[in-house]
Amino acid sequence: MHQLYLTVGPTRFRLASTWRQPLDQLAALYKDYPTSQDGYADFTVRLEPEKPWRRYIRPSVHISGDFWLPDAAPLPLDQSLLAAEMGMNLQMALGWRRHLLLHASSVEKDGKALLMTGLSGSGKSTLSAMLAEKGWRFMGDEFALLNPDTGMVHSFPRLISLKNEAIAAMRAIVPENRFGPLMKGTPKGDIRHVMPPLDAVNKMKDVAKPALLLFPRFGHDPALRDMGKSEIFVRLTQASTNYVALGETGFRALTRFVDTVPTKAMDYQSGDQAEELIDSLWSKLP
Amino acid sequence: MSQLYRAAASEGLIQHPLDSMTLIFQKSSGITHVVADLVPAILTVMGADALTAEDITGRLSDSYDLEDSGDAADIVLARLVELSSLGLVEQV
Amino acid sequence: MMRDARPLVDALRDPETVLSLDGAGWTNLISIARAESLIGSLAHRLTGMAVPEQVRPILKDAIQATDLARQQALWEADCARRALAPLNSKVVLMKGTAYVAADLDAGVGRSIGDLDIMVAQDSLSAVEEALLDAGWEWVKPDPYDDQYYREHMHELPPLIHRERDRMIDVHHTTLPQTARPTPDPQAMLDAAVKLDSGLYVMSPADMLLHSVAHLSADGDLTGGLRNLWDIDRLVRQFSEADEQFWIVLGVRARLHHLEPHLARALRLAFRLYDTPVYKYRAGQTKFTDYLYIRRLLARDGWGRKTRKFTRQAFYIRSHWLRMPPLMLARHLWAKWRKG
Repeated sequence: MHQLYLTVGPTRFRLASTWRQPLDQLAALYKDYPTSQDGYADFTVRLEPEKPWRRYIRPSVHISGDFWLPDAAPLPLDQSLLAAEMGMNLQMALGWRRHLLLHASSVEKDGKALLMTGLSGSGKSTLSAMLAEKGWRFMGDEFALLNPDTGMVHSFPRLISLKNEAIAAMRAIVPENRFGPLMKGTPKGDIRHVMPPLDAVNKMKDVAKPALLLFPRFGHDPALRDMGKSEIFVRLTQASTNYVALGETGFRALTRFVDTVPTKAMDYQSGDQAEELIDSLWSKLP
Repeated sequence: MSQLYRAAASEGLIQHPLDSMTLIFQKSSGITHVVADLVPAILTVMGADALTAEDITGRLSDSYDLEDSGDAADIVLARLVELSSLGLVEQV
Repeated sequence: MMRDARPLVDALRDPETVLSLDGAGWTNLISIARAESLIGSLAHRLTGMAVPEQVRPILKDAIQATDLARQQALWEADCARRALAPLNSKVVLMKGTAYVAADLDAGVGRSIGDLDIMVAQDSLSAVEEALLDAGWEWVKPDPYDDQYYREHMHELPPLIHRERDRMIDVHHTTLPQTARPTPDPQAMLDAAVKLDSGLYVMSPADMLLHSVAHLSADGDLTGGLRNLWDIDRLVRQFSEADEQFWIVLGVRARLHHLEPHLARALRLAFRLYDTPVYKYRAGQTKFTDYLYIRRLLARDGWGRKTRKFTRQAFYIRSHWLRMPPLMLARHLWAKWRKG
């Protein structure tokens, strides 16, 4: 097995793979991240052939590790970068307990964090990637980590995962050398990873105070709507992979968040519209 | 003889009101219940006593303004049955 | 790279052994412990040890996770108690839930999955009905599986609670009725001990023997290291608390036809965890003990299963033990057909 150690935000991963290719790709895309050589890791992710003979013949990558799902379908070898990213996500979703995990993207300005959460297709990932090119610090496009003791948001700035149309949109504003390989025909369509801006990586240990939560919805006339606190609470429990696993700690962290963080539902049809709406809200924050 | 009910010990529950609803975190199960206003009121008036649905309705009408007291006892009883299936009250 | 699960066994037996681990050694140990569902037990075992700062939060997480598992297991048991209270029949908790409900050392840090309970065979259909009434439902509506369970196995098909998403396995014996050995379920029910909650757990000797029966007859020794850790904890606690324990254990083992299985389990526990066993009960070392140990330790430092051939051998063996050959063929056929 080949191996690679990666540190993303507060988490240290050990990746082990039968093939060199995914680890080489990861090493190139994560080249600016701190490296640890002391051998410690919070989680191990494994990429292995589904069956021994599938190492060479129509190779397919089975994702597993310290935490795993029994029915995870394998991916073809040319999507092994995606497999590695999925493997790391899975460890966080099932195994991380030091923060309340919210399935949300987050960006920071002046020590304050904007969180965006919603169903897939809401555009939360693309919006965070776009804002990261326009003066915000990118904190993550998949998980926002909420510290239950302090109420602060911690950064988990993994590679940004772009899907389908978002790839071309980001190509217009991000230089080619920050892009990973294009993976066509994945279970989620076309996927291409982007390295976050260097600033996001260098400041990945910096925390931010959650200042605004948005539920974006793409494809509707631009509008901002208030939401009831019970609805916000319930939707956030659904957006958290470890709310139940944290027990009372999770309950206290989430009620504090809902009580204190202003929240809006935001409809938009373009990145510019979203940026305008966000700026209008942000400028009115205390 | 009507069924008696007793509420789960209040130190085992964390109540957190949010606009129209109240969250109840039940420490023994780790489950978060999202309930309408009547439920916290029922749990409050029950205290630590074993009571029938009629007793509880009586206590509720002392402390709260129940609009239509005609079927209030039925409503309270229906909630009690739900609450016992959740383990928030126990049949005694 | 570590080639087997020895570091985990060493750390559980003698926590001081972790002092010589380097970073990669710790990462291997943690992966193995997670894969064997022993991370919580390990974390408790290392309490008070000088553990590197990189590892401390991992162990703390494991303790908190198993604390929650304990609480949820007790809650599930209480839900079953409430649902079954009107039947006035004995409900005996089994395995992990029993250990935590009886506050035994074997429950400390233990991961607990489904709720397993044992009831008298003649109350089985009433139990089934009461659980269905209280919100549990069948996991899979497959008539073959139902028939298979009812005719040949030792439990109802698993039920899952539709709101809490938790499974319950209702047993009316401890092992499949077609399996040999056949412990005497009625004797286990009769000897069960009542807890304050009104639920029951097996008597000490029966509880240990049930764990032994599991190791010998259930599955392909998957989870065997944890199973033997349970056995180690139970033996230590019970033999210390009661001078008569080994004598009673011998009597019960004979009653349940589990004498050779008990002897094997005691030898393996002694080998791996240095369990203090009564030599007469454990008997002479056998060559096959070595194969068992090889199989039990088949896990590398990445957390991967190793020794495929040894595993296969045990898999087939365990099916032969549980089911007469023709039934085995039917069972496998149904599996092949449906994938």
